[in-house]
Amino acid sequence: MESALWRKCLDHLESELSAQQFNTWIRPLQAIEDNGTLRLLAPNRFVMEKVNERFFQHIAEITSRYKTCEDFRVCLEIGSNDAASPGGKNVGEYAPPRDASAPLATRASNVQAGVRNRFDTSFTRRSDRTDVQHVRNLCPDFTFETFVEGKSNQLAKAASVQVGENPGGAYNPLFIYGGVGLGKTHLMHAIGNLIVQRDPRARVVYIHSERFVGDMVKAFQHNAINEFKRYYRSVDSLLIDDIQFFAHKERSQEEFFHTFNTLLEGQSQVIMTCDRYPKEVGGLEERLKSRFGWGLTVSIDPPELETRVAILMSKAAQTQVDLPEDVAFFIAQRIRSNIRELEGTLRRVVANARFTGRPINLDLARDALKDLIALQDKLVTIDNIQKTVADYCKIRISDLKSKRRSRSVARPRQLAMALAKELTNHSLPEIGEAFGGRDHTTVLHACRKIKELRETDSRIKEDYANLLRMLTT
Amino acid sequence: MSESQEEMAVRQLPLGIRLKDGNTFDNYLAASNAQAVACLQAALQDPAMIYLWGGEGTGKTHLLQAACHAAAAKGRPCAYLPLACWQELDAAMLEGLENTSLVCLDDIASVAGRTGWETALFHLYNRLRDAGATLLATGPAPPAALPLALPDLRSRLAWGMVFQLHPLRDEEKLAGLQQRARARGLELPEAVGRYLLQHCPRDMGSLLAILERLDRASLAARRRLTIPFVKIVLGARPRKAARHK
Repeated sequence: MESALWRKCLDHLESELSAQQFNTWIRPLQAIEDNGTLRLLAPNRFVMEKVNERFFQHIAEITSRYKTCEDFRVCLEIGSNDAASPGGKNVGEYAPPRDASAPLATRASNVQAGVRNRFDTSFTRRSDRTDVQHVRNLCPDFTFETFVEGKSNQLAKAASVQVGENPGGAYNPLFIYGGVGLGKTHLMHAIGNLIVQRDPRARVVYIHSERFVGDMVKAFQHNAINEFKRYYRSVDSLLIDDIQFFAHKERSQEEFFHTFNTLLEGQSQVIMTCDRYPKEVGGLEERLKSRFGWGLTVSIDPPELETRVAILMSKAAQTQVDLPEDVAFFIAQRIRSNIRELEGTLRRVVANARFTGRPINLDLARDALKDLIALQDKLVTIDNIQKTVADYCKIRISDLKSKRRSRSVARPRQLAMALAKELTNHSLPEIGEAFGGRDHTTVLHACRKIKELRETDSRIKEDYANLLRMLTT
Repeated sequence: MSESQEEMAVRQLPLGIRLKDGNTFDNYLAASNAQAVACLQAALQDPAMIYLWGGEGTGKTHLLQAACHAAAAKGRPCAYLPLACWQELDAAMLEGLENTSLVCLDDIASVAGRTGWETALFHLYNRLRDAGATLLATGPAPPAALPLALPDLRSRLAWGMVFQLHPLRDEEKLAGLQQRARARGLELPEAVGRYLLQHCPRDMGSLLAILERLDRASLAARRRLTIPFVKIVLGARPRKAARHK
């Protein structure tokens, strides 16, 4: 429910503040109005403090003009109105932690704001229950069925299937490493999903290292470190992603070390991913590095062309998109870095097809790739244009800037001026200046002349097109 | 009118009379960027990650603020972060943003190479994705060409849809200027518009800033926009004024 009072207040603020101020500081606030109190919820402490410092007094003044009762109050807190956030988003196991901040009311006449730290982490969510309840955080789409196998990931996949079928067995811990966007997280979730499929009661927890660190810090702050330990030490399988984020965080490494040992002793499965080989992770204690290598260490390499094509075809099929094989090849030949980029490109091609109502073909793919790869990342400057044109027309740059008006020099000069207008945002007087201090009307004349010639003279048309291509690709 | 009333009227003049001219989808001249705009609008319904790149004056900031405007009109909370002002901001302000339905990161290249920011943005990306929120980001170059230190962040930016924003052609700029002028209740004759395009920096940001200046000047002087008047206003820069003295 939207507060009418807050809406009025927003109208005032929008007309008074700059667009940037309004969007940065006022828009993220959520408002709840009830019983003569307007509660403004900021997403975090930083926003709350800035708003309090710079705008709260003013907000209080505006609201007091429209107040609905005598002792009307405005207060500023950290938090979020769950109903207002996108769909509540509590979809099964995906539920991210919610803010649980204590409100601190503030009288409009006595401006001050405060907040209690949010404290709701993955392990305290259900701490009121007697049994520790684990949140799996597994993504149901990441299964072995949707994982495209190729030479680059064969071994990693085979090992992962083994672990999924026999957790806590021979391959413990399982350490998967490789560059970004190659499918490490996918394999990890696939193992988790397989374990749960075979034993629905299995306590499987997936967590990103950064989250582990964050939760631990909060646990220390709130004297809840014992709950934290109990939570992670009582799982059957711990899937911990991107352990390179543990680097230089000694306290977290210490805690993880103990969790790790406890789990291994209890024959619980530990699966880790990292962007590099364990020994190469800087800022990680030696004892951790050596322990990570106790089980099985497998790598995922960038997929080769055929695998990239297969990945594209598989993603297209998953989203019911009809992707011709030549288009898949075209994309796969050009996008080599990682699977995310492949997916992004496919998404872009599909969007292009939907928008234009055209079938997916090579032309569409070309457009999408142009946006993704820096085909035009060469900075186009007037200097660059002059050099390119001079080279192309086999004259000197100084000729372009000279007073000479013979056709052999004037035409290239006009071409260069027209290109400068087309490809840069310089003003016409600036362009004139760069060509030997000419007037802006000369530039204007050059542009008109070239435009006219491009329609009547096929050679000029071709020259212009060639130069345009040289400068922008 | 009493003296005090008159004083008040004068004092209120700069704020009260100008028409609202915020950045919205309606006053963005899409031209060759229509597909990007359509995808942005769709992203307000179905969560998506979109990265827009292009040169100055292609409307990156405009589009992000327009998306915020549209989301707010639907009563959805949103956040806009001008990362070019990173010195006034703090990576701590990314906390909890997954509870909003839309997060806009303007000019991500500004914090490229700052590991604290990059890591925080990477985690924000992951949280937004888990929460099913929309993320819109902009930069001067496609993800592959950004000077990011964290490959994880780069690959995530390329994961969503990437659009290049193309600059407007002069004719489109003229139409855009006239449209914005009209929205302000100001008439910009075509000849004056062409004059601006021939004498001023031609990126839309600069042109709109000039339009803003002309709007104020025309209001203050109670004069319509004519080329002689525009020459006076634009010529009245300190450097040139000093020459007259």
